[in-house]
Amino acid sequence: MSVQNTSVEVEAVPVADIEGSENLAPPWKVLIFDDPVNLMSFVTLMIRRIFGYSESKATELMLQVHHKGRAIVWTGEREKAELFVQQLQSCQLLAAMEPVD
Amino acid sequence: MELISNNDGKWSLKRVSELEYLMLSRIQDSADPSGCEEAVIRLYPSPVTPTAKLDPQAVKSIEDDWREYAGPDIRDGFGKALNTVGSDLASACVEEADGVDYYGLTVPDSHAESWCSALNQARLVLHHKHDLPSEAGEMESGPVSEEWLAILQSEIYGMIMEFLIKEVLWE
Repeated sequence: MSVQNTSVEVEAVPVADIEGSENLAPPWKVLIFDDPVNLMSFVTLMIRRIFGYSESKATELMLQVHHKGRAIVWTGEREKAELFVQQLQSCQLLAAMEPVD
Repeated sequence: MELISNNDGKWSLKRVSELEYLMLSRIQDSADPSGCEEAVIRLYPSPVTPTAKLDPQAVKSIEDDWREYAGPDIRDGFGKALNTVGSDLASACVEEADGVDYYGLTVPDSHAESWCSALNQARLVLHHKHDLPSEAGEMESGPVSEEWLAILQSEIYGMIMEFLIKEVLWE
């Protein structure tokens, strides 16, 4: 059987449109929840290391976790959110994610 | 127990008493959550918040993927940290000071993160297994109980973690 002279029509989709559609996906929030066992200094250090935040921002987020029970530490695309949650859980921080409302 | 940052890429545990060494030698066993469902859930929680506005099927799908892909990496990291600490502890030597035998140990700074991970795993599991209060002062049982020993362990581990965070890991 020959397949010569066979043509298949494929609708070309510009790369920019694909990237654009990814960006339209709803963002996800990464949250850290309070755990009375985790040391405050440990939580601050891990937030600094994982997100590259300044000491003052990491401390502010840690205090929010401590006083309010939870803090949104990052918002953005789902794949990155998953990576951050994995990194936080790898440090035994009580972290999870959810789509932005 | 004395904790010393040597400023040469290593830190030391000096004048470790018999009881303190016993507590340290329990790190690996204490970090094992087996037999305590709450401890397992705490060490390996869902990646999705309980309040996420997602249908149950979507949550299940994310959690299944998580168990398959992220879970083994997290488990592996915890295990490696515990093994590093176990190897370091095996190199402890008996040192005499003021006529008393103590244990002593010198550890590379590069192991500090593994120590924090192992100590924290153990603290979390101890608190869940023994249902410990978050503050030592809240203990009501006598000083010879299992709970008291678990609190002592957790306090010693927390003290070592504070030292490592402030003196070795903080940049």
